[in-house]
Amino acid sequence: MSTSITTVTARAESGLSWTIRLGKNMRKHWILYAMAFPGLLWFLLFRYVPVLGSVIAFQDFQIFNGIWDSPWVGFKHFEYIFTYSNLVNVLRNTLLISLYQLIFGFPAPVILALMLNEVRKKWFKRSLQTLFYLPHFISWVIIGGIIFELLSLDGIVNVLLQQFGGEPILYMQKPEYFRSIVVLSSIWKEVGWSAIIYLAALTGINPSLYEAATVDGAGKWRQLTSITLPSLLPTIMILLLLRIGNFLELGFEQIYVFLTPLTFSVGDILDTYVFRAGVLEGNYSVTTAVGLFKSLVGFAMLWVGNYISRKSTGESLF
Amino acid sequence: MKNRSIGEIAASYSNHILLTLAAFTMILPFINVIAISFSMPWAVSANKVTFWPVDFTMESYKYLLSKSDLWRSMGVNVFVTVAGTAFSMLTTVMLAYSLSRPEFMIRKPVVLGIIFTMIFQPPMIPYFLTIKNLGLLDTVWAMIIPSGISAFNLIILRTFFIQLSNEIQEAAKIDGCSDFRAMWNIVLPLSKPALATVGLFYAVTYWNVFYHAVLFIRSSDLYPLQVKMREYISDTENIISGINKTGLPYNPDTLKMAVLVFATIPIIAVYPFLQKYFVHGMTLGSVKE
Repeated sequence: MSTSITTVTARAESGLSWTIRLGKNMRKHWILYAMAFPGLLWFLLFRYVPVLGSVIAFQDFQIFNGIWDSPWVGFKHFEYIFTYSNLVNVLRNTLLISLYQLIFGFPAPVILALMLNEVRKKWFKRSLQTLFYLPHFISWVIIGGIIFELLSLDGIVNVLLQQFGGEPILYMQKPEYFRSIVVLSSIWKEVGWSAIIYLAALTGINPSLYEAATVDGAGKWRQLTSITLPSLLPTIMILLLLRIGNFLELGFEQIYVFLTPLTFSVGDILDTYVFRAGVLEGNYSVTTAVGLFKSLVGFAMLWVGNYISRKSTGESLF
Repeated sequence: MKNRSIGEIAASYSNHILLTLAAFTMILPFINVIAISFSMPWAVSANKVTFWPVDFTMESYKYLLSKSDLWRSMGVNVFVTVAGTAFSMLTTVMLAYSLSRPEFMIRKPVVLGIIFTMIFQPPMIPYFLTIKNLGLLDTVWAMIIPSGISAFNLIILRTFFIQLSNEIQEAAKIDGCSDFRAMWNIVLPLSKPALATVGLFYAVTYWNVFYHAVLFIRSSDLYPLQVKMREYISDTENIISGINKTGLPYNPDTLKMAVLVFATIPIIAVYPFLQKYFVHGMTLGSVKE
């Protein structure tokens, strides 16, 4: 009993001395604090206040009453979300596209990095990289415009298709192609950029490992599975965990640019729904509830993924 | 690389060929778009244009350059990019410097709090309402201030500052140099490559502003290029489908492609400079502590 009391007082004292030390530190290095202030205020105002603002998911938020005077309604909006059939469809679209992005989009940059790593001629590697990184810097509006043109009836894809005797297809207006186009185009845009991190990790592998393996008679394939991939594993796991935490964040811009009324049934995702029903139609509380649900799913998946990763590979974010 | 088996040589060749093909798919779409924008409408409708202009013409560009709304959006973009990059660099550099100093006591919790914002995006509706409450809605500042600091760029700069030698800074401080002077006169001149990387990242982000414009901008005279371009491409306002007459040296297709090229040129123009720095910058940003 007495020991726990002393630890509590010790903790209180150290807490107190921490504030005193902080005060001293602030007085001594006030310029550092002054320089950090605008940035800290910015993070508070534009990244943390909106998170706190999510409480309106539990209110019937009215814009004129604000957060303080709008009535509290508990879980009403969450109940509505899961009984409203449209939203179930939107959730299904989001989950499916996310899943495809993860399965096909996540390994793509790893494979590209491994392939680029095998190119020995420096100038050739560098020219390839220049081309692969370019689309990352072009906005989705431009990429969307280009893809709509390429896949239009008189676009180059259909022209080539017809030359080989095929029938022209209106790809962007057909629901059955929508998700594939979304996944393929985002791989196309980001694969080079995402490969940079893996390429950096690959240059960090000790070359003597490969020399020793060659002396021992290990072929290229054996070197890949026994040296390269195990060395990349920490990087892969960290990026996989980050990707899983962002599982339902598909990137509003891409889908918003690609969506047409004809592809709504398969392409409308949580973000585009929240934008339409929230920003445009003013249903603030329901759409905030949707957003909160999305964040909670992301957090839960990150936590579970982190746990599994720590148990299986020893890599974890926290 | 002696004694390679035939299988390995074949694998190496096919690797090179596959990579070259994939790399070509990265630029062929752009080349196709450029070719269409410089071709006459008859050639485009007859599907004759692939990767080289047919019946070369610049009429689509001449028509577009006469549109004042496009120039207005270009002006919005230039303002947002210049003012935004300046604002972002100022706040990011100062915060990154403080966070790089070991004597800044709260740096650990602050860095953690910032990394948290990298994983979780601000929720759209409360974000929208925050901007609305701050009175920024439908002003040009809504495209600048809310995207002020990128956590990723901040970490790049901070890591770079930490890697710099501490000795010169300490010596300068003993000579009575303040933290701000130490940053301004010693750290920043040594950090030019990192500053160039981050500055270019910011500039490209501001140039491509779309999400914040769709979310926060209502008046069409504040539309940035991306939003204006989308208006042209999806032709929601019937800007260009009205000019689909025969005999004109341009048609909706060539005009749309010309708009795309028009908005991409600035990015292509800075790309060589960007490329010089960003690989190094990306690697810095991923250094784990």
